[in-house]
Amino acid sequence: MHEEKAPYGILAAPHNFHMDSGNDDALDIIITNVVATFKTRCHLNLRTIALEGVNVIYKPECGKVLMKLRKPKITASIWSSGKCICTGATSEDDAKRGARRLARCIQKLGFKVRFSAFKVVNVLAVCSMPFSVQLIDFTKNNRPIASYEPELHPAATYRIKHIKATIQVFSTGSITVTGPNVQNVATAVEEVYPLLFECKKPLRK
Amino acid sequence: MGCGTVLEDNIIVSEVQFVESGGGGSSAVGQFVSSESENRIPAFGESHIAGIGRASRAQTLQKARLHINTLGHQLKMNQHCLDTAFNFYRMALTKHLTNGRKCGHVIAACLYLVCRTEGTPHMLLDLSDLLQVNVYVLGKTFLVLARELCINAPAIDPCLYIPRFAQLLEFGEKNHDVAMTAMRLVQRMKRDWMHTGRRPSGLCGAALLVAARMHDFCRTVKEIVSVVKVCESTLRKRLNEFENTPTSELTIEEFMRVDLDQECDPPCYTDGLKKKKIKQLEVELKKKMDDVEDEIHDYEDEIDAELESVRPKLRGVYAAYTKQEEEDVKDDVLSPSSKVSDDGDEEAEEELQAVAKHFGKELGELTLEALLKLEKKRPEEEEEEEEEEEGGVPRRKGPTLESILGRMPTASTLGLSESISNCIGHEKENDGAADSGELDLSGIDDSEIELYLLDDREIRVKTALWMAENSDYLKEQREKEVKIAKEKELGIYKEKKPRGPSRKRAPIRASTADEAIGKMLEQKKISSKINYDVLKDLNIKPGASPARVVESPKKEPSAAKLTGRNRHPARAPLSLSTPLSTLGKRLPINNI
Repeated sequence: MHEEKAPYGILAAPHNFHMDSGNDDALDIIITNVVATFKTRCHLNLRTIALEGVNVIYKPECGKVLMKLRKPKITASIWSSGKCICTGATSEDDAKRGARRLARCIQKLGFKVRFSAFKVVNVLAVCSMPFSVQLIDFTKNNRPIASYEPELHPAATYRIKHIKATIQVFSTGSITVTGPNVQNVATAVEEVYPLLFECKKPLRK
Repeated sequence: MGCGTVLEDNIIVSEVQFVESGGGGSSAVGQFVSSESENRIPAFGESHIAGIGRASRAQTLQKARLHINTLGHQLKMNQHCLDTAFNFYRMALTKHLTNGRKCGHVIAACLYLVCRTEGTPHMLLDLSDLLQVNVYVLGKTFLVLARELCINAPAIDPCLYIPRFAQLLEFGEKNHDVAMTAMRLVQRMKRDWMHTGRRPSGLCGAALLVAARMHDFCRTVKEIVSVVKVCESTLRKRLNEFENTPTSELTIEEFMRVDLDQECDPPCYTDGLKKKKIKQLEVELKKKMDDVEDEIHDYEDEIDAELESVRPKLRGVYAAYTKQEEEDVKDDVLSPSSKVSDDGDEEAEEELQAVAKHFGKELGELTLEALLKLEKKRPEEEEEEEEEEEGGVPRRKGPTLESILGRMPTASTLGLSESISNCIGHEKENDGAADSGELDLSGIDDSEIELYLLDDREIRVKTALWMAENSDYLKEQREKEVKIAKEKELGIYKEKKPRGPSRKRAPIRASTADEAIGKMLEQKKISSKINYDVLKDLNIKPGASPARVVESPKKEPSAAKLTGRNRHPARAPLSLSTPLSTLGKRLPINNI
């Protein structure tokens, strides 16, 4: 069966913590979105692209063109200065391939495109803990890095400054991690796992 | 040091001296120095400027205090809270957190911060109601403020809100009882894990509803909703969740006496379990469905065969295939097909087997024969792909379409050969090439990209459609152009140049203070009233007139400072002949 979302890696539950259940479950970190930018180093006429491309939406008020590719599944915003942002990829390689496809597409429309300054800007991943988390305890233990406002958002936000990653922890135990690249995301999950484990909620079977 | 040298100026003394003013009254000698103005020691010539105690920072703070007091009184907060809020605002100012934010938002955030730290029953929603601002915008400001000021606001306890809501619901004498019952309910909910991740007001609403009913007050859902400010569906959901807990089974008296020990799982967890069960059921059902589907397919094939026999017969090779007996060819064909599939992916093999099983053996034999017929030397993988495709495409239609369609389109005619090899083979990424700006074409199939581009006719159609849809925008653009043209004719048109990045001036490097000041004055033509030449002359001749020399460097910094802030541009030009007595009253009289 095709796995739509590519699981990045298998994170083994750390064994140096006192775990009653003693399970050897691995945590799947599933990357759901990768955002990347690149420049074409040439001025683009958005109207031409809009009128000659197939999956193209032109928004003159915003001054950009939205182009959607089918394989890999990517949506790109293209500005007339030549800057493009690609979103919707499921891995860094995917993002790069999609960006190059996009550049090739624009090249075919007649612009002198050069593919430069490709950079992955943001990676969003989700991960599910096998236990639920007590958010209030978690926030208390980790002030001021963690913050929880139930009036505003049901998840507690944990920001790790040195790797620039943000983790949102939900009470069901699932977390979403955003960071500048995939490696940081993995590091962030590893860092936060022990903290979450401390505030684990014993479940009634 | 000679006669007339100013030794000290504006000394801060602890004694108070009085001076008689013109009308007979007396006034204290000295100036007010604001504690908040950053190290601005008032220099010699400055003292007569009006409003020295009204530095801009002080003005900002005063305005803020006014706003805070207004808002605070509307919320009925006490003075101590308002003072704390003002202190928070001052901290925020020093940390430049008010930059780029509406001052109303910052003030509201400060007030809410106080509410949280003091534990008053004010919600962020109340503040946003007063200001008519989106709650999430306020919330964002509040979070930033709390983070930057390192203030750990304790988590909201729903029990805080209950007395407030109870009062609004007008329970009369039994107010306290209902409130206590509701609080017990909320505590029970907390232990049953219903409150994590939820708005506290929703929980309070549900608890109050139940408590009211327990004490024979009939409060409708609508009344509660108007007080608590959540929507009906939320309230209903909370009630349902509470219903699922074992506490709901208790009677009223039991509830007041007993507290059940066992804790529940959070409702989202139980929901998750339910979903899993449903999924399992679905999977089982699907398996059963597959069996049923097989039967249906057999019937379909038979029906198709019958239909085909009614259709006009084809001449040529293909007719032969349709008439051939299944059983004879079946065994021969299945073995080569199975051999082929051995080499390929598992997916293809499964497909082939499914194809062979479901659709009647004609298809398998047909595709294989067709491939052989087409006599292209392709890798086995592509053959399989093709079979897979052709097996996949006419899945429900049966074999007859193939015979009618005749020669099947090959992978190359469809332009898909490269993409097939892409699917199966590896794609090598050349990172080095990309950096140089060259577009690395490896792994990119040109023909596939061609699919993304429209041809001429389609372009025309799309142009027409786009023009029609965006006619308003285009009209606006045209009007703008007309306006600009008109203005150009009249000569009024001011071209809006896009502002490039503001160039940062090179830092001045100088060895002495005088040099630095001189360089700065050169860079920045500060005031038109100052005669720079005279000032320059003064610097060159140090020993000429000591009084003047001493004056001038003092004037320069003061001039620089003042004009740097651009505060009082209109001033009587200072010339060296201005008598000291005119420069200011209330000066300590030095012995010059």
